[in-house]
Amino acid sequence: MENKRLNLQLIVKALVLVVIIIVLWWLLFTEKDNHVGLEVNDSIGVTPEQIQSIRDVGEWEFLSISDEELVDTVRKGLFTDDHLVRIYYGTLRLGVDLRKTKKGWIKTQGDTVVVTLPKVGLLDKDFIDEARTKAFYESGKWTARDREALYRKARRRMLAHALTPQNLQSAEDNADVQFRRMMKAMGYNNITVTFEK
Amino acid sequence: MRFLAVVAVLSGSSCSGRGDRQPSETAYQSVDTVPMLIMQIQKCSRLYTTEYKVHKIVTHEDVVKLQGALLKQSIDIKLPVGDRKVAIPIDATLKAYIDFSNFSEKNIERHGQKITILLPDPKVELTSSKVNQQEIRSFVGFVRSGFTDEEMTRYERQGREAIIQSIPRLGIVDMARESAARVLVPMVQQMGYREEDITVAYRKEFKPFDVSKFLEIVGNGK
Repeated sequence: MENKRLNLQLIVKALVLVVIIIVLWWLLFTEKDNHVGLEVNDSIGVTPEQIQSIRDVGEWEFLSISDEELVDTVRKGLFTDDHLVRIYYGTLRLGVDLRKTKKGWIKTQGDTVVVTLPKVGLLDKDFIDEARTKAFYESGKWTARDREALYRKARRRMLAHALTPQNLQSAEDNADVQFRRMMKAMGYNNITVTFEK
Repeated sequence: MRFLAVVAVLSGSSCSGRGDRQPSETAYQSVDTVPMLIMQIQKCSRLYTTEYKVHKIVTHEDVVKLQGALLKQSIDIKLPVGDRKVAIPIDATLKAYIDFSNFSEKNIERHGQKITILLPDPKVELTSSKVNQQEIRSFVGFVRSGFTDEEMTRYERQGREAIIQSIPRLGIVDMARESAARVLVPMVQQMGYREEDITVAYRKEFKPFDVSKFLEIVGNGK
C-alpha cells in the first residue's frame, strides 16, 4: 500500500515536470512573440562637450603622415605572463608655423618676390588620437599607469617612424612648390623660396 | 612583439580626409598574419587657422536586465547582480583649415589697387585626442566583472564620435573664416597692398545635397 502511494507520487511529479517543460518549450519556441534574454546596454550616456580654449593658429601643413602602431607590454608571472596589446592611431603634420616668420619674410619688387619661411617641423606635438585606440589583446589586470606608458611608447615609435630627414625634406620640397604656385597666382613671375636654417 | 608588416603609402595629392585619398601601396615584408604598422604619407597644402580644445566626460552605465515578452506581456526586470559605471575624461583638439591645394589664379580677383582672395570654405578635423587615464573612475558591482580594455576603448570611440558630431554646434567654421583673414591679410600686406584694399571672401563649395536643397527651394517658389 505504502509502495503504491510512493509510486503514484513519483508519477504525478514526473507528469508535472513534463507539463512544465512542454509549456516552457511552447512559450519560448513555438510562439514567435515570446522571447526572453539577458540585456546589457552598450552605449554611452549623453554628456556635454565643453570648449576649454579657442585660439588662432597659422600652421601651414605640407606633409601629413598617418601612422598606426601596435604596441604591447608584458608582465612576467610565476606561471603565466600577462599581456596588454593596443593599436594606436596618429597623424603627424609637417609644415611651417607662420607665427615664427620674421619681419619682412615676404619681399617684393615689381614681379619678383622672395619668401623666407621658417624651418619645416612638426606642427603639433599632440598627434595621437587616443580615443580611436583599439584594444587588441588583454590578459591580466592593467592600471592607468600601464596604459599611459603604452601611449608614450606609441608616441616614441610614431616620432621615430615619421619624423625622418626624408619626410622633412619632402615637406620642405612641397612647401617650395606650393608657395611658388600661390605666388604665381598672385601675379609674380620671379619667385624665390628659402627656408631659415 | 615584432613588427610584422609595413605598408608605406606615398601620394602627391591633397592630404584631405580619408575619402579622397588615392594612395599607391607597397608592401615590404610580411612575417605574421596581423599587420602591425600602416603608414600613409601625403603631400598637401593646408592652412590651419583655428584650434579648439574640447573636453568631454564619457559616461557609461550598464544594468543587467531580463528583457523580452511572454504571452504578449513585455518583461523588463532588473536583475540583482549589481551595476557597473564608468566615467572617462577625454580631451580633444579640433582644428579648422583652409585647403590651398587647388589654389590658382581663379582664386584672385584684382580691381586696380584692390585685391580679393576667394577661398574655399574651412573644414574641421579632430587632430588629436587624449584619454586622461589617471582620472578614469569606475564602480563595479560585487558579482560583476571589471571593464575590459575592449569595452573601455569602445566607449572612448563612441565619445570621440560624439565630439565629432558636436562640431557644427561649436561654431568653429565661422571662427575659422575670421582667423584665416587675420593670417592672410598681414601676408598680403607684405606684398605691398594696403589693409583696406584686401578682401578675403569664401566660395561655397556645393555638394549634391546642397544642390538638391537649392532646387527644392526654387521649385517651391514657382
